[in-house]
Amino acid sequence: MRGALALAALALAAAALPAVAGDYHVGVGLGLLMYVALTQSWTVLSGMTGYVSLGHVVFYGLGAYVAVLLWGEAPLAAIVALAALAAFAFAALIGLPALRVRGPYFVILTFGLAELAKYVVIVVEGWLGKFSRVIFGAPDIETLYYIMFGLAAAATLMTFLVRRSRFGRGLLALRENEEAAETVGVPTVRFKLLAYALSALIPGAVGSVMVLRQTYFEPAQIFDPVVSFTIVTMAVVGGSEDMKGPLLGAAGFVLLSELLWANAPQLYMVLLGLLLIVFVLFAPQGLSGLLPARRRTP
Amino acid sequence: MDALLSGQLLVAALVTGALYALTALGLNLVYGTMRLLNVAHGDLVMIGAYVAFWAFTLLALSPLLGLAAAAALAALFGLALYHGLFRRLLAGGKAAQRLEANSLLLFFGVSVIVQNLMALQFTATPRGYQYLDTVYRWGNAAITGNRVAAFAVAVILCGGVLAFLRFHVTGLAIKALIQRRDAAAVVGVNVERVQQLALCLGFASAAVAGALVSMTEQISPFMGFPFTIAAFVVIILGGLGNVTGGIAAGLLLGVLETYGVALTSSAYRSILVYGVFVLILLLRPQGLLGGRRIVR
Amino acid sequence: MTLLALRAVSKQFGGLRALSDISFDVAAGEIVGIMGANGAGKTTLFSLIAGNERPSGGTIVFDGRALAGLPPHRICRLGIARTFQIVRPFGGLTVEDNVATAAMFGAAQAASPAAAAERALAVLALVGLAERAGDLAETLTLSGQKRLELARAVATGGRLLMLDEVMAGLTPAEVATMLEIVRRLHREYGLTILIIEHVMRALMQLAGRIVVLHHGEKIAEGPPAAIGADPRVHEVYFGAAA
Repeated sequence: MRGALALAALALAAAALPAVAGDYHVGVGLGLLMYVALTQSWTVLSGMTGYVSLGHVVFYGLGAYVAVLLWGEAPLAAIVALAALAAFAFAALIGLPALRVRGPYFVILTFGLAELAKYVVIVVEGWLGKFSRVIFGAPDIETLYYIMFGLAAAATLMTFLVRRSRFGRGLLALRENEEAAETVGVPTVRFKLLAYALSALIPGAVGSVMVLRQTYFEPAQIFDPVVSFTIVTMAVVGGSEDMKGPLLGAAGFVLLSELLWANAPQLYMVLLGLLLIVFVLFAPQGLSGLLPARRRTP
Repeated sequence: MDALLSGQLLVAALVTGALYALTALGLNLVYGTMRLLNVAHGDLVMIGAYVAFWAFTLLALSPLLGLAAAAALAALFGLALYHGLFRRLLAGGKAAQRLEANSLLLFFGVSVIVQNLMALQFTATPRGYQYLDTVYRWGNAAITGNRVAAFAVAVILCGGVLAFLRFHVTGLAIKALIQRRDAAAVVGVNVERVQQLALCLGFASAAVAGALVSMTEQISPFMGFPFTIAAFVVIILGGLGNVTGGIAAGLLLGVLETYGVALTSSAYRSILVYGVFVLILLLRPQGLLGGRRIVR
Repeated sequence: MTLLALRAVSKQFGGLRALSDISFDVAAGEIVGIMGANGAGKTTLFSLIAGNERPSGGTIVFDGRALAGLPPHRICRLGIARTFQIVRPFGGLTVEDNVATAAMFGAAQAASPAAAAERALAVLALVGLAERAGDLAETLTLSGQKRLELARAVATGGRLLMLDEVMAGLTPAEVATMLEIVRRLHREYGLTILIIEHVMRALMQLAGRIVVLHHGEKIAEGPPAAIGADPRVHEVYFGAAA
């Protein structure tokens, strides 16, 4: 109950931000909501199934690419929806072979896939004679902010619902032991694939919003592995055992990045790496697990 | 078409292949003895490259001597990591098993830290130097002296490690550990000491490869990851613990990359490397230990 | 009525022939024991029936349906449940959730989480784990985890239960309890049971019929008394020792 109240208060504050703050702070808020949406989505796959994706930027980048290609051709809502669907479909496609790979191999495979996608898009853009694209007439920041707010809320709701569903129980079982799970009737292949595709859905939409915010598209900069790495670190530091973790992680890192990213990006990355190591070693449940709370299996 | 048939390309492919083989040899030793996927392996190549670069530019030390310093430094770094991180993971038992995927995140963290510390210290600007850049000609092939030297050193070292693993008692212990960890302990191999040695040797090989790379290519703090990827490709192709197979696979990858790029354009180099990597993992989802899994 | 029929089933791992040409039937309501030394192919046989591994040849028919090519979860839903010799609990879930998951997804297909929990608690009571329902599965002792394996298999609601050395590593008192549990499952739940056991006496007491495997081949099949007197079985089992 108290959790629900706190969440409602947070949502209210986030919704009111553009009314009370200037563009700069709305921009910071947008970044925060972006990482909430990305990290919550990520936990649907990696938190629930244990298949850790270190390449989620590929869905974000794909969404951004779809948005750039369609901008001016379709209404904003359709673009965001199509970006999400494209990411969903792409995940469903590559998921079937990729999810046969387990453990650390899956982690490094996702990273490799994202890099591969980046270079493919770079080459394709080269063929098309485009090395970067500029977007004219992009929506104002408030519009984008509210879309992102909706995406962050949707992602949070999605993790909440998945965790409580029969589907979610199946995912947890396969995380604990895949062979035992399929032997007691969990359709592991289908469930993993659905979790992967669901975890890609909102990141696709997020990518489309962010490219409109940046008003230009340059593949090497959009498919930046730092995004994937940040998502994973946020989830590890915040905790991915409940929906609170990604909120904590995203808030902490956006604050840290505000302090450091502009002036000392490399120092920021070093800190990210250090925090990741410390939390993996000493507090694998993340901040959320360190908080005194009722503990039960979902 | 003529260019494809020239000795030029073959020589280039052999040099790249030999460097990949040496790098992968290091990863093979580390992964084989500890079953930890060290994705920071390529960063050792980068560190080795920087050591050779600074030894050359500041101390006017030949990279062929600088590589010894690179090897020593990397071995020390390996020892520090072993005592700081690896041992905790290896001894962790059940907790470590559940964190199997997370252990990779640890190394990714190490990799990010090392890269960015180097970038903080030396800036991200690519650097290079001129050493042994006289051009030699053999028939229709023209090759710079530094490439000849890099190739020769890589081949000698691969051969040396190969001989060590085959004939030396400690080398045999490393091989035993790679093949059967539990059994090796039973027959009296001091697992912890052998692991440390394999780690030092593995890290040193990568750093030496880096020192050699620095003679022929520009270096930067973020140059390492493609080497990690290449090393993984090589040990998956060549077989875990199979050092001879790894050397063959390294040469194969060098040929594949060099000719692939020559046939298309250098824009495709990354696609080629990552493409092969992704394809290999998708085709062999069991990863490095493929083929030995028996469900009981 | 024949519930399970194996015809010329074989399994090849690379160059290694793990099972060759295995045929036998299991009638509904029977308890059939599988006997054999380590490496005889007993566990592989279970893996083939449950779909964890694919046969290299032969057919397996369950309740009139060929199982060839079906994934494990489909086979489970048709009514075959197995335990693993090396226990595989969902360590991070509670004991109750371990079993309730099986009730939700197995042949029983519990209609709601509440129904699954109810079924789970009933099965846990049967195997004597009711008091541990709220604990994480990884906190159980080996004996506890063996019983959890059994409970999870039973909760799927399958008609054929395949038990893989559920008594190995247990103390004599625990073996007696386990024997009693298996008997009750057979009697009260009407389950058909295929059981691998190293504890020979237990197998002789339980099974109405025994199939003996040796190096992947069936060398004998019959009632316990006949198996006990079979010279080939003696040769395989005691020959080396004598």
